[in-house]
Amino acid sequence: MLPYPLLLIYRNFKRFKSTFLINLIGLSTGLAGALLIYLWISDERSFDRYHALDGRLYQVLENRRTAAGIETQTGTIPLLAEALRREMPEIEFVATTTPVPFFPPFTLAAGGQQLTAVPKYADPAFFQLFSYSLLVGTPATVLRDKHAIVLSEALATRLFGSPQNSLGKAVKWQLAADSTQTSLVAGVFAGVPRNSSEQFDFVLPFASFRDRMQMSETIKWDDDGPFTTYLALKQGADPAQFQAKLAGLLKTKSAQTQTQGRTLFVRPFAAGYLHGTYENGVATGGRITYVRLFALIAGLILVIASINFMNLFTAKASRRVKEVGIRKALGASRASLVGQYLTESVVMALLALVVAVGLVQLVLPQFSELTGKPLALHWEWPLGAAGLALALGTGLLAGSYPAFYLSGFQPAAVLKGKLPTRAGEVWTRQGLVVLQFTLSVLFIVAVVVVNAQLAFVQRQPLGYDKAHVVRFDTGGKAAREQAAFLAEVKKLPGVGQASSVLGGFLGGRYVAERSWRGKRLPVATMLVGYDLVETMGMRLVAGRSFAPQYRADSAAILVNQALVTGLGMTDPVGQQLDGARIVGVVGDFHYESLHEKIKPLVLQLDPQVNTVLVKLQPGAEQATLARLQQLYAAYNPGFALDYTFLDTDYQAQYAAERRVAVLARYFAGLAILISALGLLGLAAFTAERRRKEIGIRKALGASELSIVWLLTSSLTWLVVGAIGLALPLSYLLMQRWLEGFAYRVAWQWWYFAAVGMGALLIAWLTVSVQAWRAARRNPVLSLRAE
Amino acid sequence: MIKTENLEKVYRTDEVQTKALHHVSLSVEQGEFVAIMGPSGCGKSTLLNLLGLLDEPDGGSLQLLGTETNRYSERQRAELRKRSLGFVFQSFNLIDELTVFENVELPLRYLGVGAAERRQRVEQVLEKLQLLHRRNHFPLQLSGGQQQRVAVARAVVNAPPLLLCDEPTGNLDSASGHDVLGLLTELNEAGTTVLMVTHSEHDARYARRVIRLLDGQVVLEHSRHQF
Repeated sequence: MLPYPLLLIYRNFKRFKSTFLINLIGLSTGLAGALLIYLWISDERSFDRYHALDGRLYQVLENRRTAAGIETQTGTIPLLAEALRREMPEIEFVATTTPVPFFPPFTLAAGGQQLTAVPKYADPAFFQLFSYSLLVGTPATVLRDKHAIVLSEALATRLFGSPQNSLGKAVKWQLAADSTQTSLVAGVFAGVPRNSSEQFDFVLPFASFRDRMQMSETIKWDDDGPFTTYLALKQGADPAQFQAKLAGLLKTKSAQTQTQGRTLFVRPFAAGYLHGTYENGVATGGRITYVRLFALIAGLILVIASINFMNLFTAKASRRVKEVGIRKALGASRASLVGQYLTESVVMALLALVVAVGLVQLVLPQFSELTGKPLALHWEWPLGAAGLALALGTGLLAGSYPAFYLSGFQPAAVLKGKLPTRAGEVWTRQGLVVLQFTLSVLFIVAVVVVNAQLAFVQRQPLGYDKAHVVRFDTGGKAAREQAAFLAEVKKLPGVGQASSVLGGFLGGRYVAERSWRGKRLPVATMLVGYDLVETMGMRLVAGRSFAPQYRADSAAILVNQALVTGLGMTDPVGQQLDGARIVGVVGDFHYESLHEKIKPLVLQLDPQVNTVLVKLQPGAEQATLARLQQLYAAYNPGFALDYTFLDTDYQAQYAAERRVAVLARYFAGLAILISALGLLGLAAFTAERRRKEIGIRKALGASELSIVWLLTSSLTWLVVGAIGLALPLSYLLMQRWLEGFAYRVAWQWWYFAAVGMGALLIAWLTVSVQAWRAARRNPVLSLRAE
Repeated sequence: MIKTENLEKVYRTDEVQTKALHHVSLSVEQGEFVAIMGPSGCGKSTLLNLLGLLDEPDGGSLQLLGTETNRYSERQRAELRKRSLGFVFQSFNLIDELTVFENVELPLRYLGVGAAERRQRVEQVLEKLQLLHRRNHFPLQLSGGQQQRVAVARAVVNAPPLLLCDEPTGNLDSASGHDVLGLLTELNEAGTTVLMVTHSEHDARYARRVIRLLDGQVVLEHSRHQF
């Protein structure tokens, strides 16, 4: 036997089966959508937060005044950590490190094994700052020795069988073409958690890198530095006060730094992952934009689902007004009625939560793949509490309207079984439908526009040919003897051309100001090997590309058209730009994503750069790749060639947008499903309410079609209204999204027409199913029912 | 038991104002069985709704069980209804989703009576009204007469001093109607004050006193013997 309130609910559900199902489906899919987004957001928010000193951990950044405004950079000079340690007593630990993207993976050899792994150089305090728990070694001392190496547990196990076994063992390692070094294992750490913004496999003492690069002799305070500096403030230290002190630090260091317009500041370490973007010295967001966007979507989906629930619940409740009257006549207090309705809606919402959890479990594998995060539903308290709060909130929200509305009537009025139809109620219900459809149409327009932009990204001429180009980093002998290696690559059958570039062909570049005849311009620099123009199929507008027969090319540069236009050169070939002679002009090409305008660029010759690009002849890529691997193995025995296609790199630039596109598709589907369900319920309700009227009209000779129109017209107008509201709104919102792209698709009028028609069609189909059923009903039955 | 003075009720729509009750003053003593009679639309049901605190008057005063109710809050009105009033309606007004037992039990639930006592009292009254074998049926599975017996059982299960009946036989055949009226007479003889709205002269004969309404006004009051 069920408890009394549950029994009532059960019987009500049985009586209104279709409403019950519509409500359950609507609310549970809505909750499932919101839960999925919650999982994604909480994972994003967990990044870099697992350190024991979190809250006191900071990264030092630098603002630098340039002609183009204030530029913010994470790179700091290696002199900084030592100065901070000496001059700032509020600092507990401070360490300089190399950022992970700084190096390609190193080649490691030990115990007869060879493998590549991702390095990071760091000052001794590194393991005190960050909670990478040490299985072997102690945090304070593990990086003290210049010949120390600290391996991740996985790496230690692969090289030596176990972490304990590795202590004191020698590891030989090599960076690209560098000579082989030997370090002794001083510690083993558990590894870097997945939700870390940096992934690395082993740590070397920064001091050894400092020695190797002879930094002590060469680095001055007015230099740039690519290194990251992290610090932890002492317990109780005031970050604001520290910030103020830090801001003035550089000015005290040299005559140059006094006038350079550089200011240091700190940002909480964990904030870097989500708030990584700066514009003119001000934090403008970063990944947090997507977190907020998805939070908004989750909220909107919940609102739609909740509106549905409320709408149907109210509609159903007004069929139960007689019950309310009886209960009130029998002395039920208003509170007990409110309680009854709220219990009912909350139980329903909780039931939907259970179904939603099932749904989430079902789609989680696909969702994880889609988001690139191995998400899992763990019932820890924040998630449990959030789920319960969501369900309770929705239930209470949905139940409150009928609960307070219905229970407020005079019993004599409702005992007749009819609600006095109030204009307010009708408006509310219709307003809710309009809101739902507005949001659905908004989602659909977003889907259309995002996909149109992605298609545009694929179509846009890039100024180079990304097809059949593979990219890989050379190491070992192939890097040391790169010219010979590349010459052999070019001779392989199936290879069209080959060249090399520093750090890959796509992506942001180091930007510095260059001047020509008094004009100054921020210019990006790409360090390239011979034959890049040919390998990439770029267009040479004037002059020539680099070639080995011109010995002076080491001091020569190629420039792009944007630079020529930017500096107003009329005859660029032969001109000197900051001491380098321009030998050729290449047509503008998109070396960054289409988010960015093509900026002035200088190509500078450096045959040693070791990211190799190979153009394969189409048709026999697999055979050619096998030959390439063979050749590489001949240079570096035991090493597999780790290559990617340039097209993959290109697509990776739009990974975020592609995710948005897929998610938008899912959520638009969800929104339209829930809205249509709501409309279906409402249509059923309307048909029920007007049952007698329909009977009379039919008895008087109305055709079925005219009855269908009678029932659908009012809801049709609501949807038309919603579309009218949503289209301009979606235009504004999507225009803002598109503005994130320097090159964007043009709006087409048919986007709106198609979406509007689609939404209308869906609404109309939904409603007319109900209307048709009502119209076909035998009028005698309807009339007798009264 | 009941005392009204100049009770007024006006129904308003956008265009028309209808005076449903006009200066209705009457009193009913404890232990009486009073019928309120009149043609359709004379205000009988409106009066009963006001007396049962199901609706609020637009003027005049209404004393129930010795207290003035005009300034009662909704909470107080609900309180009075559940402790002191029982209702029997023409259309039975049973809740379709509840069984016979649960329908009859409802007033006791609102009174906060414990489960064991509820069971005992409901079974007692169902037995008295020969409905015990129907206790697990739903209203729609019963005949009209049986449904009204359930409604009576529900109205009296909390032993209210005042029973208000609105055309209790209106939807019943004559045999069932007789049955229900007999039941009301029995309850009245046991001490319950009964106020019954009817337009049937036959039914009115069961009452000891008749109040006649016409167009919202009391036109005649007389005892049964004065027919």
